[in-house]
Amino acid sequence: MSLQMDKPGVEPVYPELKPEWVESARQHISEVRSRGQAESGLWGTWTLFKKEMHRFLSIAGQTVVSPVLTTMLWYLVFGYSLGDRLDEINGIPYTDFLVPGLVMMAIITNAFLNSAFSFFIGKVHGTVVDLMVSPLRPWQIAMAYTSASVVRAVAVGSVIWAVAAAMGAGTTFHVGWTLLFMILTSFAFALLGLATGILAKDFDHINFIPNFLLLPLTFLGGVFYSIRLLPSPWDSISLFNPIIYMVNGLRYGMTGVSDVPILPGVAISAGSVLAGLILVLWLLSSGRGLKP
Amino acid sequence: MKPFLDIRNVTKSFGSLTAVDDISLQVYPGEIFALLGPNGAGKTTLIGCISGLIERFNGSITVDGFDVRRDYPVVRQLIGLVPQELNFDGFFKTRHVLEYQGGFFGNRKYRQRSNELLKAFTLSDKAEANSRWLSGGMKRRLMICKALTHRPALLFLDEPTAGVDVELRDELWAYVRQLREAGTTIVLTTHYLEEAEELADRIGVINHGKLVLLERRDDLLNTYGERWLDVRLDKPARVEWFEGIGCTRIEVRGDNHFRFSFQDSTLAELNENSVPAKLFRILHEQALTPLRIDGGRSRLEDIFRKVVGQDNPSESEGST
Repeated sequence: MSLQMDKPGVEPVYPELKPEWVESARQHISEVRSRGQAESGLWGTWTLFKKEMHRFLSIAGQTVVSPVLTTMLWYLVFGYSLGDRLDEINGIPYTDFLVPGLVMMAIITNAFLNSAFSFFIGKVHGTVVDLMVSPLRPWQIAMAYTSASVVRAVAVGSVIWAVAAAMGAGTTFHVGWTLLFMILTSFAFALLGLATGILAKDFDHINFIPNFLLLPLTFLGGVFYSIRLLPSPWDSISLFNPIIYMVNGLRYGMTGVSDVPILPGVAISAGSVLAGLILVLWLLSSGRGLKP
Repeated sequence: MKPFLDIRNVTKSFGSLTAVDDISLQVYPGEIFALLGPNGAGKTTLIGCISGLIERFNGSITVDGFDVRRDYPVVRQLIGLVPQELNFDGFFKTRHVLEYQGGFFGNRKYRQRSNELLKAFTLSDKAEANSRWLSGGMKRRLMICKALTHRPALLFLDEPTAGVDVELRDELWAYVRQLREAGTTIVLTTHYLEEAEELADRIGVINHGKLVLLERRDDLLNTYGERWLDVRLDKPARVEWFEGIGCTRIEVRGDNHFRFSFQDSTLAELNENSVPAKLFRILHEQALTPLRIDGGRSRLEDIFRKVVGQDNPSESEGST
C-alpha cells in the first residue's frame, strides 16, 4: 500500500489527495456526527408513519372502501336475510349481535394485511433497503408500521360500525370499551402482520396466516354465533381461542352482552399485543428474515 | 491521519461460501476509493456489512470511530448507500420518495433538500410523476438522490454506472467529483477500470472475498495497466526497427501489420518519450504511412488476471 503515515496528525504523503479536500471532509464529518448524535429518531418515526398512511390512502379503494363494502354485504345477507328468521341471541336481536363480530373480523384482517403486505412489498421491490440503512431503531419501525395499520383497521371497523348503527343496529352501549377492544386487537394483529411480512419469503407465506389461521379462528371465534349455543365439549374448547375474547369484548362494548368475562379479555388482548411486540422487536433487532 | 472508515479482519460466510475473507482496509477523509472485482468477488457483501444490510459477520468495522453495529444510529447518519439493484416505490411520486427518505434521517427541511437534488440530477420535471414510470437512467439518478437526502459524509456507490448511457455516466462522474470537493468521502465498486481510473485515488482489488491488491491508482496502472496500438502500414516493415521504443511486446500480424503493446501511464507522465511518440517518429523516419490505427487498453479483467496470477499462476493463463 502506498500510503505513508509518518506521525499521528500528519497528512499522509498522498499527492492526489489535496489538503483542502481532506479539510472539507473533516468539517463535513464533524457536522454530520453532531447532527447524528443529537437526532432522536422521532421525526423519522413520524415520517415512516406518514408514509404508511399515505400508502394505504393512495389505494383507499382497496384498503378501506372494499373491506367496508364486503363486510356490509355480510351484514345484509346474514343480518337481514337470515337474521329475521333467527331468535334473539343472549337477549339482543341477531342483527345487533352480528355487528361486533363483523367489525372485529374486518379489524383483524385489515390490521394484519396492512402491515404484512406493506412490509413484504418493500422486500419484493427492494425498498426495504431504504429502511434498513436508515437510523431508525427497531421500536421506531415497529411503532410506525403498526400505528398506520391500527388507523386503517379502526377506520374500516368504525365505518362499518357507523353504517350499521345508521341502519338501525343498537351497537352503542359503551364507546370506551368498544374503542379499547378495537385498538388492542388492531395492535395485536398489526404486529402479527409485521412479523409475517418480515419473515415471509413469498406471497404464499403472507396468505397462509389469514387463510389457514385467522379465518378459522375468527369463524370459530363467535363472530356469527354465541358459544353458549355450542354442544359440550366444543363450548369449553372454544375458550382456548383468543379471538373469542376479542370478539366478545367488542360485543360487550357495542351491545352490553358477552359470552366471556371482559377483564380476562382485556388481559388476553393486551398480552397478545405484548407478545407480538416482543416478537417484532426481536426480529428487527436480530435481522432475522431481513439481514443475513 | 485517523481513518474515516476502518475495516478490520472482516469475514462473512454464507453457509460454506466465504464471501468476504479476512479483509482489512482503511479509507481516509476526502478520498475516492474504488473496490474492483468480478461478479461474486465480495464487494457488495462488504458494503452490506458496513451499511447495515448484513448484521452477522466477524471482525470490526468503524466509521469515524463508531461501531457500525453498536452505534448504528450515528453511523447511518454518516453514510449513504446507492445500492446496485434499482428499486422503486410504486405508491409514490418521485418527490415523495425523496421527502420520505430524508425524513427517516430527521431532515425537517425535506422539501428544500428534495428540490435541490431533483434540480441537480435533472429530475425536476419528473417530481410529480410516479417513480414507477421513470426510465432506468432516471431511476438510477433517483437512487443517488435518495442516498444524498441526509447529506452523508461517506457515500457508497455500488456499481453506479452499470447499465447507464455515456451521457449519464459523465454526469455522474462530474457529480461525484463535486461531492468530494464539497467534503464527501466516496467508496465505489465497479467492474470498469476506466471508471476507477477516472475517479479513484486508491483502488482495492477483491477476488474470492480476499483483498488481493491495494494500491494508489497511478501505481496500479503503472504496474499492471497496458495499452496497445494495432497499426497497418502502406508497405512492409521490419520488427527490429521498433525494438527499443519501450514496448512490452510487439506482435507481427503480417508484413505490414503490427500490434504494439506498452505499459500504461498517467496523463501527467506523457511526454515526447512516450511509446506512441517514439513509434510515430520511426514511421516518419522510415517513410511509412499508417493506413489504419486501432487502439485499446487492458481491461480490468486483464489486470485482474495479472494480479490474481501472482498468487495462483494457473489462473493467469490467457492474460495479455
